[in-house]
Amino acid sequence: MLITTTSAVDGRPVQEYLGVINAQSIIGANIFKDIFAGLRDVFGGRSKTYERVLEEAKEDALRELSQKAQAMGANGILGVDLDFETIGSGGSMLMVIATGTAVRL
Amino acid sequence: MKSYFASYLISHGADPAESTILIFDKNLSIGYRNDAGVNEMESWLIKDVDAVFDLPTQQTKITNRKKSGSVIFIPGKEALVYINELQAEQQKAWHKRKGGKEWVRNFLLLIGILGLLFLLYLLIVPWLSEKMASKVSVKTEQQLGDAVYSSMNLDQQEDAAATAVLNEFFRTMKVPTAYDIRITVVNDNVVNAFALPGGRIVVYTALLKQIKTYPELAALLSHEFTHINNKHSTKSIFRRLGSKVFISLLFGRFGSVSSVLINHADDLRSLTYSRRLEKEADTEGLAILTQRKINPDGFVSLFTHLKEAAPADMLPEFLGSHPDIDKRIAYIKEASREAAVEEDAQLKAIFEKLK
Repeated sequence: MLITTTSAVDGRPVQEYLGVINAQSIIGANIFKDIFAGLRDVFGGRSKTYERVLEEAKEDALRELSQKAQAMGANGILGVDLDFETIGSGGSMLMVIATGTAVRL
Repeated sequence: MKSYFASYLISHGADPAESTILIFDKNLSIGYRNDAGVNEMESWLIKDVDAVFDLPTQQTKITNRKKSGSVIFIPGKEALVYINELQAEQQKAWHKRKGGKEWVRNFLLLIGILGLLFLLYLLIVPWLSEKMASKVSVKTEQQLGDAVYSSMNLDQQEDAAATAVLNEFFRTMKVPTAYDIRITVVNDNVVNAFALPGGRIVVYTALLKQIKTYPELAALLSHEFTHINNKHSTKSIFRRLGSKVFISLLFGRFGSVSSVLINHADDLRSLTYSRRLEKEADTEGLAILTQRKINPDGFVSLFTHLKEAAPADMLPEFLGSHPDIDKRIAYIKEASREAAVEEDAQLKAIFEKLK
């Protein structure tokens, strides 16, 4: 599965466009990570805990996207776009939306 | 997750189909088009899979023990290495798996930090708040108390005659203090009395009517006086403020459910503190009485009046701001066992004016 943010792949023309697919992953950081991040906010510095949560959400969204593409018989996803959003009361949860076009190369 | 282009042989001797392979932690999924041109998906568990490197074709050959005849060919050696890693990972005990040790370490770290924060909350914040409270000047306390007093609009219901008698009574007790103690008697049917920071004591007539002897009045006044003299209200305010600030720093962006929980836990804790202050006021009030040889039984009968006035279904002690009345009576009796008692004619005479 070729996942790319570009709209074309060099040397491999698109044979078939299978449609737009998207996948989202919503992750709550959990109370303890919130506490750590809260401390980070007080004392300053990088919040590795939140960074990891972000990374995890992104991985999940991309994994789901490839599964969807695979189910459609695609072997590539072009023009992938990742959107990050906070949701939930107080913005304590994180949503990652991955969008792309499933294609056969 | 990793993905590969591969050719997939569904059964022995079948034509290889072009497919995409997604390898996850526990399984791999195969997407391909069958002979009829329809998309098909298959999922194999990583633990059922055998991967070997086929040297002549330079491809990784993956077979499934549960599905003989099916073969996946992935160009290159990378898929083999990845599958071997995943299989080795699955063999390990949970705490040795990737992230497992880190998980244990994080957990210990979390416990440590939570413990530290809890200690901070239980010891350092109250200590700091009390330090700050003791720095508040008498004048500031007076202003605070007066502001509260005037906002309560008690002046209209004041019983001026009784007020004068009580002030005279307290002056005659000659309790040394930096505060200007001003007692006000207020017409109301609540059996209660309270102290405001800075020197104001308010006594309701309903309670005053129940007081039959001068030691009871002395007990009441010395109890409320201790609240003022030991800055109990100011300390409580600072403690509440301190722990509220600390909690909102920690849990500021919490959802409403947890903030309700945390606030209530904090309220219960401040009640414990309030009970401690009440006990302090009782014992130091008792000391004022014994120093002046006033009968300490005044406390006991005062508490009895309070108990009679209290509704039958009293809150359990841990929910109350004051200690349980029976306990209060018990520790007063215990502490005053050897107190010398002498009749104070002057105080008695002043008390008689109330009648």
